[in-house]
Amino acid sequence: MSDKISVQSAPPSSTDTLGSTTGTASGGGPQNAADASRGGTRVRPGDFIFRFLSTGSAVLIMIILAGVALFLIISAIPAITADWSTNDQLNTGPTAAFPNFWSYVGPLIWGTLWSAAIALLFGAPVGIGIALFISHYAPRRLASVLGYLVDLLAAVPSIVFGLWGIIVIRPFLIPLSDWLGANLGWIPIFGGPVTTTGSTILAGALVLAVMILPIITSISREIFLQTPRLHEEAALALGATRWEMIRMSVFPYAKSGIVSATLLGLGRALGETMAIALIISPAILVSVKLITEGQNSQTIAANIALNFPIATTLQRDALIGTGLMLFVISLAVNSIARVIVNAKPRKSKKSKPAGPSTPGPLSRIPAGDFASATAIDVVAGSSRSGKPGDEGPTPEEDIEGARY
Amino acid sequence: MKFKNVAATGAVFLTAALALSACSSSSTGTASTTASTGTASAAATSAPLDASLTGTITAGGSSAQANAETAWITAYNAQVKGVTVNYDKSQGSGGGVTNWLAGSYDFAGSDAPLKADQQTSAQAICGTGGGLNLPVYLDGVAIIYKLDGVTNLNLSTDTLAKIFSLAITTWNDPAIAADNPGVTLPSTAITTVARSDGSGTTQNFTNFLSAAAPSIWTNPASNAWPITGNVSSQKGGSGVVQAVGAGSGTIGYADHSAIGDATAATINKVEFSQDAATAAFAAAATTVPTGTGDLSQKFDYSKLTGTDVYPIPLVSYQIVCSQFKDPAQAKLAKSFIGFVASSVGQKVAAKNAGSAPIPDEMLTKVLASLETVK
Repeated sequence: MSDKISVQSAPPSSTDTLGSTTGTASGGGPQNAADASRGGTRVRPGDFIFRFLSTGSAVLIMIILAGVALFLIISAIPAITADWSTNDQLNTGPTAAFPNFWSYVGPLIWGTLWSAAIALLFGAPVGIGIALFISHYAPRRLASVLGYLVDLLAAVPSIVFGLWGIIVIRPFLIPLSDWLGANLGWIPIFGGPVTTTGSTILAGALVLAVMILPIITSISREIFLQTPRLHEEAALALGATRWEMIRMSVFPYAKSGIVSATLLGLGRALGETMAIALIISPAILVSVKLITEGQNSQTIAANIALNFPIATTLQRDALIGTGLMLFVISLAVNSIARVIVNAKPRKSKKSKPAGPSTPGPLSRIPAGDFASATAIDVVAGSSRSGKPGDEGPTPEEDIEGARY
Repeated sequence: MKFKNVAATGAVFLTAALALSACSSSSTGTASTTASTGTASAAATSAPLDASLTGTITAGGSSAQANAETAWITAYNAQVKGVTVNYDKSQGSGGGVTNWLAGSYDFAGSDAPLKADQQTSAQAICGTGGGLNLPVYLDGVAIIYKLDGVTNLNLSTDTLAKIFSLAITTWNDPAIAADNPGVTLPSTAITTVARSDGSGTTQNFTNFLSAAAPSIWTNPASNAWPITGNVSSQKGGSGVVQAVGAGSGTIGYADHSAIGDATAATINKVEFSQDAATAAFAAAATTVPTGTGDLSQKFDYSKLTGTDVYPIPLVSYQIVCSQFKDPAQAKLAKSFIGFVASSVGQKVAAKNAGSAPIPDEMLTKVLASLETVK
């Protein structure tokens, strides 16, 4: 690091010497020799600075991540190892009922996963539906407006969603909860005393579903838009309806993208704090009940937000310990997402980060221009063997499937 | 919109910003002047404020005190312009004490006095004298409910404990009927609403229940609500008030100054009023010092049975070092808390934050303790 800085601090002289002594590398002292050994190309100060900055940024993010993990682990250890039943700081207040750390964090992990799962159940189909409408059904003008509106949803602060949940969604869901409790109360998830204030995990998860819509929609939309136009048109030309075309050419192409969009949405749902803390009436227990007042499993993030201000030193450590668990869960979710994406044919991994501005060669074809499309397809097809990972074979198979 | 247009050039923007800031400072100035002149005729128990002080007081803690702190700071700054007081209510009582113990606050606002172990750690920053708990804020815990067709509800202490411990589950229970002769009670199920976040209000309320109805309420006083089951838990006092109002057959507890339009039940036929809370403090509070000059209060709830005393008072403290590390900060804190603990300061809070004034007798003690702060 230090020699990089020294090089950086003396750039004008080194450039000068380089310019004047090209070809006589041995005569210019050690620094000159070092410069010349880099292949003799002129190295401008900007290159050093930029390379230093970008490398530094990359290193920094790893240091930050490692630092956070280290902080979580070090802070959590006293609470994890403490005897909760005899410790004066831990057998009072919110942690009084728990004999050890794991019995405290267990229900919280369940609550976190459970609320996020319900949110995903509502949010993912709607999000994918919106994305499909924008990419394949809506008139172009409506599509851009709709896309803009969905992105706007991401900018709404979660506390606003929380207040919306309290004032609008909670009362709105009370009649539904009453009906579910009266008619479907024999199903465990609708059992228990029905809520009177509406402060249920159902309301919380519904708001959460709205909050994860933008992330699922925008990623799915980008992926749907990248479906090779030729595949779609081939499907249509072979007599497929719009829905069959989507089923046979868009979905297979976008499958792993949808999965990763959904898992990113899950990650958002796992960490959501304020809206959950405001809407749900929590209890630290493992429960699957959706419409009760006092049996909604608390989530990790909301529990930290609610209890941090009054926590004793060790209770703070315990809360940080629960944060560590959330960190591990998020890491696991992201890893699973990556495994799923990588396990599929490479196509989506390659094409996803590229975004809509640089789609594969096939989608550059103007719509309707079938002759040129065919021509380019032939070219692309012939070159395909030389470019692995460009376009996978799966959509093609589907088109063949459509033929028969 | 208008602002956007004038912001076309930097100079105009700057002028506008200056004009705006001038505007806002003058308007708050006027507001506080009216507040203080309105009460200035009342005898001040503290020495006149030293208007020449300058500096910054950093404090934080109890959110129950927050409205009163705002009123105090505004009124104080009307007289002492050079002192900035920052009170961070987001910390809550526990966070306030933690930060104060870490040495980053000049005083902490807390709904509970320092515990013995906290008093020990306070000696690290305050010397052997430790910290002083100064009661400066008095309010009551209100019991709010929503029950269609019932506009006046009275609850005895025992009934209250039975309701909140979930021993009574419907509104037409004989125990409630006995407290409300002549009132037709519906058979609606009772939903109790409590705080989901840790809270000094919960601490005060559970303290009252465990002391006043020990045979029914068997849980110790705690800042986290101890009852599980069919309990609606809400974030913050405003969350409780909202949930009680939105439900039916709901009953909850909140700081009286925060209940807004919600209907409050009378406890043992006593309705909350500022006078009733002050009378309750005068009748039942005894000082249980943890050190020299400390004024931690303990309520003897058995004395709160009269018709003019509110049975569930809530007292909140400002906690200072008996010896500051920096004498200049000591001077600032003494000046500000001296104002807070004056009868003028108490009336400012009563008028603007809805709290009840601390009795003069206790204020005198607070000011005497404050005198010893170095």
